[in-house]
Amino acid sequence: MELGRRIARTLEAATFDRIAAVGLANAELNRPRIRRSVLELAPQPLGEGDAAIVVAAGPSLHRRRSLDRLRASRFKGTVVAADGALGACLRAGVVPHVVVSVDPHSGRIVRWFGDPALNAAPADDYFRRQEMDPVHSRDEIGANRALVELVNKHGPGIKAAVATSAAPAVSERCEQAGMALYWWNPMYDDYERPDSLSRRLHGMNGLPCINGGGNVGTAAWVLTHAVLGKRRVGIVGMDFSYAPGTPYAKTQYYPELVEMLGARHEEAFIHLDSPLTGERWFTDPAYFWYREVFLEMVGGADCDTYNCTEGGILFGPGIRTMRLEEFLGDVEKGR
Amino acid sequence: MKEFLKGNYKLDVEIKETEDAEASRLETEFERKALSRLGGSICFVSKKNFVWTGEAQPEAGRAAASQGGETRGAGTPDRQDP
Repeated sequence: MELGRRIARTLEAATFDRIAAVGLANAELNRPRIRRSVLELAPQPLGEGDAAIVVAAGPSLHRRRSLDRLRASRFKGTVVAADGALGACLRAGVVPHVVVSVDPHSGRIVRWFGDPALNAAPADDYFRRQEMDPVHSRDEIGANRALVELVNKHGPGIKAAVATSAAPAVSERCEQAGMALYWWNPMYDDYERPDSLSRRLHGMNGLPCINGGGNVGTAAWVLTHAVLGKRRVGIVGMDFSYAPGTPYAKTQYYPELVEMLGARHEEAFIHLDSPLTGERWFTDPAYFWYREVFLEMVGGADCDTYNCTEGGILFGPGIRTMRLEEFLGDVEKGR
Repeated sequence: MKEFLKGNYKLDVEIKETEDAEASRLETEFERKALSRLGGSICFVSKKNFVWTGEAQPEAGRAAASQGGETRGAGTPDRQDP
């Protein structure tokens, strides 16, 4: 088996190691802000009908201008965005009904909401290096300032579905921008075990535990069908991979892979051909694991899932890949 | 290795971990630590339901179960392999 696939198989346990302790600590710090459960979102009028679009922050979101096309379609269903896609949504004139945030990182994630405290480019090059929202790589400070204004303007119309693991800076920022916060616990482990962390956390705050699938985009998809009850879920921007021609150095986990594997780091990347576009995309172990997890989860989902990303590596049993307009047209015609 | 081996008898000799075993343990620890940096931002729990709202006990103060109610994703049997 390729090195990348071997590493990917270890990441269920590695993710627990990475985030369980900080996620539980954040749950304690977030406690004073917890007033509503995410389950209270279900009966709210968030868009019409049983169709929804989940917006993730992969490179196809920009390459395919998915948000401009979504806005032009006048889609009336529910729009749920991953936090990393919030800025792109608002810049394109698409105000999501719900934004989802889960990552416990103390400094980075608040930037997806615009960080009012950021006055100089930080030493951390995460936002300049990553592919998820290219405006940050061109003018980090200017992009942040513009995002602060956009989020402040539209915040009162957006519900934030925030995991208790999220950094307190994120929940504080969402509240400051006027968003209503709806909380949930990440499912950390098997809740049927008597010593389960998930069970303990639920006992402490009474919130539902949601199986997040490794990343915020998948968590947004889970929330859309399993909490909001949407039965036709289209997805845009969920590539779980990098576009052809992207330098390895511009990928999410590049520094970690180089540190771990040295000269062999290139062996960790996996290449796959997209059945819809014929393009050859490549992925790293973490993104490949997200894909494998999604494929496992989709088999048990009580919804039809349509991947309208038009790129990337998320294809397989249980997922229909199609152009965005085809999905939107079917929803419009009630098919 | 000692922490994994337990018996209901006593040995006459003292078992010492070899340097190789110690090195291997350290290597595994290093790998686990290194791998944790590649992990995701939220866990995935295989073969479990999408949403767990706890045991069916709508108590006061349990905002999740009592105010929002169950959804079709919640409280259903755990997922099985397709």
